[in-house]
Amino acid sequence: MLNVCNQVRWRSERVFDLRVGVLSWDRPWIWLAPLIAMLVAFTIVPLIYNVWLSFHEYHAFSRQLRWVGGANWAQLVADERMWEALGITLAYFAVTLTVEVILGMAIALLLDADEIGFGFLRTLLTLTLVVPPAIAGMMFLLIEDPEFGVLTYVLEVLGLLDKTTPILATGSTALWGVMLVDIWQWTPFMVLIFLAGLRSLPPEPYEAAMLDGASGFMVFRRITLPLLQKVIAVAVLIRGIDIFRMFDYVFVMTSGGPGTSTYTLSLYSWQQTFSFIKWGYGATLSLFTLLIILVVANLFIWVAKVRW
Amino acid sequence: MANVEYRSVGKSFGSVQVLEKLSLDIADGEFVVLLGSSGCGKSTLLRMTAGLETISSGEIVIDGKVVNGVHPRDRNIAMVFQNYALYPTMKVRENIAFSLEVAGKSKDEIEAQVAEAARVLNLTEYLDRKPSELSGGQRQRVAMGRAMVRNAKVFLFDEPLSNLDAKLRAHMRVEIRQLHDRLKATTVYVTHDQIEAMTMADKIVLMQGGGIVQVGTPDDLYDRPATRYVAEFIGSPQINCQDGEIVSNGGEALFVNGELKLPLPASYAAHQGRQVTCGIRPSDVALSDTGPIVGTLQIAEKTGADKQMHLDVNGSEFVAVAPRHTQGVPGDTLRFAVAPDNIHLFDHASGIRIAA
Repeated sequence: MLNVCNQVRWRSERVFDLRVGVLSWDRPWIWLAPLIAMLVAFTIVPLIYNVWLSFHEYHAFSRQLRWVGGANWAQLVADERMWEALGITLAYFAVTLTVEVILGMAIALLLDADEIGFGFLRTLLTLTLVVPPAIAGMMFLLIEDPEFGVLTYVLEVLGLLDKTTPILATGSTALWGVMLVDIWQWTPFMVLIFLAGLRSLPPEPYEAAMLDGASGFMVFRRITLPLLQKVIAVAVLIRGIDIFRMFDYVFVMTSGGPGTSTYTLSLYSWQQTFSFIKWGYGATLSLFTLLIILVVANLFIWVAKVRW
Repeated sequence: MANVEYRSVGKSFGSVQVLEKLSLDIADGEFVVLLGSSGCGKSTLLRMTAGLETISSGEIVIDGKVVNGVHPRDRNIAMVFQNYALYPTMKVRENIAFSLEVAGKSKDEIEAQVAEAARVLNLTEYLDRKPSELSGGQRQRVAMGRAMVRNAKVFLFDEPLSNLDAKLRAHMRVEIRQLHDRLKATTVYVTHDQIEAMTMADKIVLMQGGGIVQVGTPDDLYDRPATRYVAEFIGSPQINCQDGEIVSNGGEALFVNGELKLPLPASYAAHQGRQVTCGIRPSDVALSDTGPIVGTLQIAEKTGADKQMHLDVNGSEFVAVAPRHTQGVPGDTLRFAVAPDNIHLFDHASGIRIAA
């Protein structure tokens, strides 16, 4: 007991020492300074620079950035390829997010049990998350290969596809081929978040519902889903933002092709900036992407009543 | 309405035996309280009745039908949980209506029943609130409302008042009992609070270590406790126990422990020389100048209605309930008398009651 008292006293003395030193808790700015410095250097300044850049354009001959006013923004509005890329991005976003949420929830519900081996299964799920997205893209490039890809073979056996329509080289199927990687790699992320939510739910309402005579589906719809609402909202938000700026898969697997059928907004921004050296227009495109994400995310936060 | 029958019911969690061959009959419409200290198996028995725990051995019969393998939803049982188990995302109205909705009742019917339950339980103005916006007592009433509209065969209560303050608990005791009297539903009520058991029960089942010690009316358990454990569990303040022996003196029987000599009913003379524990309820003694219980006052506690005198009798603590204006300061010697019929005797070794 005495020992504990001594420890407490020792600790409080240490805290007291801090109070009178430079790093005291009545000087918050000193504590915050490193974070603020990093935020300014790596987020605020690049953002302001990006805004500044969107009103300029790089001229290869003079090797200078020149003021162009709102020309980049006017070009953006009139750019049919941009609108096409936005459409592809939105389609990709809608399909992958929906499938990942539904599939993720279904698997989470299946794995939400204390049976032997389920802990191991839950651990297994994290494996896809440690694969770098570019590598996952390469893997699926092989899986969907028209000559020796496993998926091509299976689909062919099932009579759903013939070898003359290679998945990633056919305009109507390429985007689906890319979505598949996203779903394979990120559904487990949803499962993990939903499982964490499911396993923290109180058991009593479920027992009460059982006695009230509710069916499994009714329990899910009326109890589980409303209780998980915030968890789902956060998962959708994190994943949604991520999906919207997806770049790796299309870059590795299709480079936006065939034609422009998998040209997403981020790939288009990249192309304008780094292939065509249109720094101003590239900056405008990425700012536009950021604006869409901000608007959509905040709308979602408002509609889903997410409270942080 | 239905009767409930437990036939040699046993329950074990792994190698731990929680209930052992327990048999009990609960009549149709009876209010039975399962009473016991923590870990005696009372809540487990209740949960087995509801179907929330499996039955390891034996049978539970509800309304003449063995329910061992019957799903909770098909047992037609309503239960009020210790922490209420309300549906947190539903409003009070939806909480109460949920089981009716599940049963496929019409909207009008549901509305009428919810309104009636809310009226009875004084919840009308809270119908559109979420459980998180209610006080403990209000949540408790919602849980009861949810059970009420079920029209179930059996009502189960699992320590429903243990999270409430003393005043509200007293009030809810009355409400639950009134509800039972109105619905006339078979009720099994689990508690560790002997006052709840005494005030509400038609029949108390006192449990200890996974078995039943005594079944009887509150008066049975108070007046004729089957064992020393029952005697000590029921009654507040707790019964005074002194170890000693029965001495027979010319046809008269005495309980003797050193200086303490208490006259017993004459029939105990047959137990001459038997080692016993003598139990005397604090409220069964009266101040008397010639009383045989002589003690030194340690402390006098005022409870309002009376005074609890803590005495040192024969080296052990003895509590006596005296009128509120009784005088006495620590160190005073006080004498109390007790009627021979109010002395409870238990076998010293087994703790079992010795009948007069």
